[in-house]
Amino acid sequence: MTSDTPFDAVIVGAGVAGALIAKQLTGAGLRVLLLEAGPGTSQSFNGYSRHLQQFYGATSKSAESPWPPAAAAPQPDSSDLRNNNGYFVQRGPDLYGSTYTRTWGGSTLHWLGVSLRMLPEDFRMHSRHGVGRDWPLGYNDLAPFYARAEHELGVSADVADQRYHGVSFAEDYDYPMQRVPLSYSDRVLGAAVDGMTVWFDHESFDLKVRSYPAARNSIPRGAYQPVGAVDLHDDGSSNPPLLGGRCQGNTSCTPICPVQAKYNAGKSLAQADRRYLTMLVQAVASKILVDPANGGVQGIEYKRYQDPASTRFTTAVAKGRVYILTAHAVENARLMLASGLTGPRGQVGQTLMDHPALYAWGLAPLAIGAFRGPQSSAGIEDLRGGAFRARHAAFRFDIGNDGWRSTTGAPDSTVSEAVMSQRLFGTALRDQLANLLSRQVRMSLAIEQLPDPANAVTVDPQYLDALGNPRPVISYHIDDYTKAGMVAASGVARALFRRAGVQDFSESGNGSWFPSVYYQGREFHYHGMGHFSGTHAMGDDPQQSVIDPDQRAWQHHNLFLAGSGSFPTMGTSNPTLTLAALALRTADHLVATLQQ
Amino acid sequence: MSQLEPFLAFSAEVTAFPIVELQGTGQAESYLQTVEDIVGTQRLDRLLVLYQSLPLATREDIRQARADRLRRDIFGSDELGPIARNIIKLWYSGTWYELPSAWTEAYGPAPQDVTFVVAPSSYVEGLLWTAIGAHPAGAKAPGYASWQWPPHIPPFAGDPAATPR
Repeated sequence: MTSDTPFDAVIVGAGVAGALIAKQLTGAGLRVLLLEAGPGTSQSFNGYSRHLQQFYGATSKSAESPWPPAAAAPQPDSSDLRNNNGYFVQRGPDLYGSTYTRTWGGSTLHWLGVSLRMLPEDFRMHSRHGVGRDWPLGYNDLAPFYARAEHELGVSADVADQRYHGVSFAEDYDYPMQRVPLSYSDRVLGAAVDGMTVWFDHESFDLKVRSYPAARNSIPRGAYQPVGAVDLHDDGSSNPPLLGGRCQGNTSCTPICPVQAKYNAGKSLAQADRRYLTMLVQAVASKILVDPANGGVQGIEYKRYQDPASTRFTTAVAKGRVYILTAHAVENARLMLASGLTGPRGQVGQTLMDHPALYAWGLAPLAIGAFRGPQSSAGIEDLRGGAFRARHAAFRFDIGNDGWRSTTGAPDSTVSEAVMSQRLFGTALRDQLANLLSRQVRMSLAIEQLPDPANAVTVDPQYLDALGNPRPVISYHIDDYTKAGMVAASGVARALFRRAGVQDFSESGNGSWFPSVYYQGREFHYHGMGHFSGTHAMGDDPQQSVIDPDQRAWQHHNLFLAGSGSFPTMGTSNPTLTLAALALRTADHLVATLQQ
Repeated sequence: MSQLEPFLAFSAEVTAFPIVELQGTGQAESYLQTVEDIVGTQRLDRLLVLYQSLPLATREDIRQARADRLRRDIFGSDELGPIARNIIKLWYSGTWYELPSAWTEAYGPAPQDVTFVVAPSSYVEGLLWTAIGAHPAGAKAPGYASWQWPPHIPPFAGDPAATPR
């Protein structure tokens, strides 16, 4: 084994949390070593463009299709789910439906870009609704960091649209860019749906098709400069972005924005001060070395490979004053457990959550222009909060602009169906495709899930990856609280489609395969939203949580675990903006302590 | 003698896109090559010769006769129908789809017959996107805010939905 020069901070994982912390720390003149398990092929614009070509040429246009794993850094893939034969060892009883990507830039390379703040009540689920647990931080604690995160990620929205369920903003605040325009489809749906009333017991909610905050470049406000495509070179130089200053409507946020108008973690890394930043890609952290006397971390062992196709590696140890795990909710827990660090009362890896989501899809009464614009541009947020959360899960709808792509494999499946089953050709075929595909509507109904210690990431020495690192073993089930939320959400979707004159195909059986759960005699096909969280939850009590509100491990004074794994509960917002806000808060703490 | 010309003529009729638009995709040669490589030159030749023997549609009644023959003799053929349908899907989505197993059992083996995207550019040049007034996901982006307006679905010759003059 060799030893590296000590750094102020060793960061594991070049995703959004690691990138934001690296940028803040190097900006303060602190020396950072960043280890990334996957390849660094997305750093240069040419390299990124090869990923785009890979997507064009892929038979399955899945979220993972542009981002194949290295042999030494395997990752879950949605195509593995049905046969449960992928990177995850899934113990059930239900399948965990989400995936992530181990590469430079992380899963922000293929996220949708939704950048919602959590609701104030989301931080107080136990005291407000008697379920889940409270955060040690409140909305007002995080609000200034949300504002900073919105500028770091480049979020487009109008504050005027975003004040609901108690979400508040500083008086002079607005988002750095104007809201992304609603799609024609959103406007047609909104004209029919806005003002529709939903009752849950004695509580009523008026629905509205609403633009959501998106980390996609739009028209800037004031002096804000949108950040476009990344083009970093091996020698440390970089080119200014020539593309991506504005969303062009590629309808491909997931799996790859061709112009990088959507935020990815590479943008923050490109803004880090390279004088203080050392990046090692293809370096898989394999063990946290701890002083048994006081719990302090002495180094992080990592395995470095030269060839993404090979599993030959050399081992080294990274040393710094502090260590920050930003590898992903699952990977953080996996690395801790692989190192024998199970946390207070063995809580590391427990309370894994996601947003199990349903699809609702149908045909609009007129051509609404599906397959155009950002993949989605609006949602329905009105059912994210309310007294009903004492009884069943809250949820939000994402309204797609990409037809039935994710539900049935359209447009290709629509072409195949017309040609193969309906035997159409010539003018009749072309007419039918124009007629059907331009009317396709899809909503994703993302349902909240509560923390449950039985839902957990563990490791087992009999399941190892090619480098000998343990693979994540996942136990997961969806409880009645969430299933009752599925009943409520699907009921609202049905009523909404009826009101909008949309012919509902959700129960037609024409959908692609997804895992199922059963509740009250009904089958619900659900998919993961990629919203892994809860695996190293924060709290005020060193016995009841893994980390403190600064994301420092209670049992290891110089170890931090950042990311959505830190969430005690997850509400209904996708986790990226909140984990970015937490990362900036932790970075402030680190700068203040390390500069002493 | 290249089969490109009859291949384009057949493709134009079964996709309802004019030859000039098919040529504009830049994919014609590679699609022809793909079909020949997988099902064999002779079999494709038979399809195209049969196509060229159809009655010319100069009058309405002959147009119907031609459509009937096309449906019966080519699309209705156990051997040629699956190939014809695959040619349509090639143009519309840029993907060669594995032929039905009944075809392979009767006329195979066809060792290269697996589902694949012919080339990254063939995905981008799929006709379906033009047909629906959209653009391929991840390419040919129409520009900021274009999505807030109704789609423009281009008219085409023979569109049964078009208002008769």
